[in-house]
Amino acid sequence: MSRVLTACGLLAVPVLFTLAGPLISGAVSGPDGAPYALGGGHPLGTDGMGRDVLGLALRGGPSTLGMACGAVAAAYAMGGALGLVAATTRRQWLDELLLRPVEVLLPIPSLLVISVVGVGWRGSAVAIALAVAAINMPAVARLIRAAASDAASGPVAEAMRLQGEPAVRILVGHIGRAVLPVALADAGTRLATAVFTVAAANFLGLGLDPAAPDWGVAIAASREALLVQPWAVCAPAVLLVLFTVGANLLSDAVLRRRG
Amino acid sequence: MLRYAARRVLLTGAQLVALAVATFLLTALLPGDAADTAFNEQAGPEQIARLRHEMGLDRPLAVRFASWAGGLLRGDLGTSYLGHRPVTAIIASSFGATATLALVTATILLPLALGLGLAMGLREGGRTDRVISAVTLALTAIPDFVLALALVAVFSLRLGWLPSAWVGVESGPALYVLPVAVLLARTVSHFSRQIRAGTRTALHAGYTVQARRLGVPRVPLVLRHVLPNAVVPGVQELARTGDQLIGGVLVVEAVFAIPGMATALIGAVQSRDVPTVQGLTLLLAAVALLLNLVADLVCRRLSPRTEVLR
Repeated sequence: MSRVLTACGLLAVPVLFTLAGPLISGAVSGPDGAPYALGGGHPLGTDGMGRDVLGLALRGGPSTLGMACGAVAAAYAMGGALGLVAATTRRQWLDELLLRPVEVLLPIPSLLVISVVGVGWRGSAVAIALAVAAINMPAVARLIRAAASDAASGPVAEAMRLQGEPAVRILVGHIGRAVLPVALADAGTRLATAVFTVAAANFLGLGLDPAAPDWGVAIAASREALLVQPWAVCAPAVLLVLFTVGANLLSDAVLRRRG
Repeated sequence: MLRYAARRVLLTGAQLVALAVATFLLTALLPGDAADTAFNEQAGPEQIARLRHEMGLDRPLAVRFASWAGGLLRGDLGTSYLGHRPVTAIIASSFGATATLALVTATILLPLALGLGLAMGLREGGRTDRVISAVTLALTAIPDFVLALALVAVFSLRLGWLPSAWVGVESGPALYVLPVAVLLARTVSHFSRQIRAGTRTALHAGYTVQARRLGVPRVPLVLRHVLPNAVVPGVQELARTGDQLIGGVLVVEAVFAIPGMATALIGAVQSRDVPTVQGLTLLLAAVALLLNLVADLVCRRLSPRTEVLR
């Protein structure tokens, strides 16, 4: 239980920044000042463009975490549906037809996909999220299929079917319940990885505009001033790390509880 | 084994074809083609139209794909929009730096991860296990670009021990220390944790218990019975390691200004130099696919029971 609490404590900071940050950033951060200044009405100083670092950290969450969460949600919507259909169908060819093409795409490196998409859609958050979703979809489909096929072919599902239970009830009540903990644990690590990927893409300049309020972009923009104004890099970096460590710990705890 | 290998190689072939088609389609169907972005933005519509014609962009998609794929088969990846250099020349000039980096990393990665994984798994719950586990867990959670910046801040800016960039410094082994350290951090962590789990399973498996009962001494027991089975989950994860390595190379080359393929790729993406992006992504992704193929074959050889491919 203490693991869960630690994980939630770690996650709370970046999540609070993301949810409440944009609302209060106007009140907390002063007007733009000199580049890389420390103090002078700016609690954490300013970045290279003279923007308040704390304000930037408060506004950068929705972009980074939003893209990552959106990507994982989309990956689960697509991959989960594919995996469930493939697991529950009794037609071998449908199973093959659904998962074979997906397997072909499994080992393609994520940042390469973002590079290709970035050529035409640079600066578009939706395009990055979709690219990250597409990268994650095959693995989700495989995982859900594996988790669901045990439950779908087991004696309980068989008994429910003989009993005349509707298919929806078997799918949601029985198979869904068996899949859920696996999916939750996987979603945690997947979310942490998605945050990595999104932040790395933005750091490399493959994603958002260099002036966009985003943690990854902010780290890249201020990196040459690492010693002059460490907060400009450290504030967003610490928020990112807190989130990924928290998400990893939480999914670890979910896995452990299952035994 | 042979039948499996043949099927697996066929799958990789299909993957390569799918990869080429997907790369072409994604770059060709993107909004705003090269003619209106790669050259000056003040150009009038008729100028752009002429340029399109010169670049062959006004031909139908199928024709463009056929000529591109034909070139690909002949080893011709087209000409860069910028500077009109052949893409193969760009790859050739940037290949060395990336390949050296990857080779140095790989030669350290495998023995280090194996050693750490075995050290953890053989004495589970001991002090070594707890310390290494904590460190590797922490390293998996730090984004590699944050780690790279932190190492630069400490070792090159504060202490001045190691160079922070490849530009304007004489070459030498010192250049490789920080980039390789960053590349190793996450990959070694993931890999050694997999091997730790594998070691644990193999140590408690029936065949090991039986061998121990028969009086097989500890060292041969570990080398002959535990190790081959302990490696399997790690090797299966090699696909993910490949992803992390290629992502890591992009980050490391950007942070340390290494004139490699990743730097060329990022530059090409930012200047919308489509042929260069196509060529470089194809090559890098093909490397990842081949790594995956080798991993699956090794896995199958080591532990034929495991179904790597349905």
